[in-house]
Amino acid sequence: MDRKAILTELKKVLAPYTENKEMLDGISEDTDLIRDLKINSANLVDIIIDAESRYNIEIDFDSADKMYKVGSCIDVITEKMNQSKSA
Amino acid sequence: MKSAGNDIVALASVNKRRTNQPGFYSKILSASEQQLYREPEISIIPFENYVWLLWSIKESVYKYLKRNKPDLVFSPTQIITQHIEIPATLVVPFQNAQFDGTNDQDDFYRGTVKYGSDTLYFRSKISEAWIATVVDVDNDFDDIYWGIHSIHDASYKNQSTAARTALLGKLNSFFAGDLRIEKSAIGYPIILNNTEQIPVPASIAHDGCFVAYSFILESEDVCG
Repeated sequence: MDRKAILTELKKVLAPYTENKEMLDGISEDTDLIRDLKINSANLVDIIIDAESRYNIEIDFDSADKMYKVGSCIDVITEKMNQSKSA
Repeated sequence: MKSAGNDIVALASVNKRRTNQPGFYSKILSASEQQLYREPEISIIPFENYVWLLWSIKESVYKYLKRNKPDLVFSPTQIITQHIEIPATLVVPFQNAQFDGTNDQDDFYRGTVKYGSDTLYFRSKISEAWIATVVDVDNDFDDIYWGIHSIHDASYKNQSTAARTALLGKLNSFFAGDLRIEKSAIGYPIILNNTEQIPVPASIAHDGCFVAYSFILESEDVCG
């Protein structure tokens, strides 16, 4: 799955947690989940759990710390998908 | 530099089933905090309340420290609650869910929290509708003002506006002049009186139908 495909799927993960649907449609790798999408920080763990389920990966808390921008979310998801392939 | 940090969690938005799953709470609670919950005096708190109480403490600490450490990343399991004193009233009835706080009440959860070499203290309150926390580096909380207001329109924009309104409303009881709030480059509120920044560290939080503010005001900072 390439970064573009992960981004498309990631929009579905983020959708329940943002009111800003217009911004969600146009997100880029620079989009900040809290500042731009106005996602409540209390939902960040929900997003990590949903991402784990959608991509069949496990995101440890060190990686979770990076998941504030869309680009870094894609980095973490890509890394964990590659790890699970090679395992 | 003085700082401020607070947080609020609206319990209506909490997914109890998910909160009780190890895959979820282990991303919030450190191993020692999971162990802490096994102590009999702590385990009288419903587990989902314990998880979100500690979340609100961690968020408050992060906000407090971020002001002086702009590169700080929020890492819940690295901010570790050391001990908790439980109040006589575990959960405040809903009719008392709105308050402009003073710290002489006895229904606060109190305790110590550490992040690396930083030690902070917290006061938290759990109502039937929310869990709220304020933190400081001093344990007396004499100069801390904090409050919780309920709102009807829970849209993000209104939450943000209402939190600022609540903070300004309280500050206006101490300062004459035209107070307004701006946001710093790293996101914390800056209080301006006319065009001059006043030395009052403040923090705001909102979730669902509740907004919260806190600020530190030493008596010499009050001016007419």
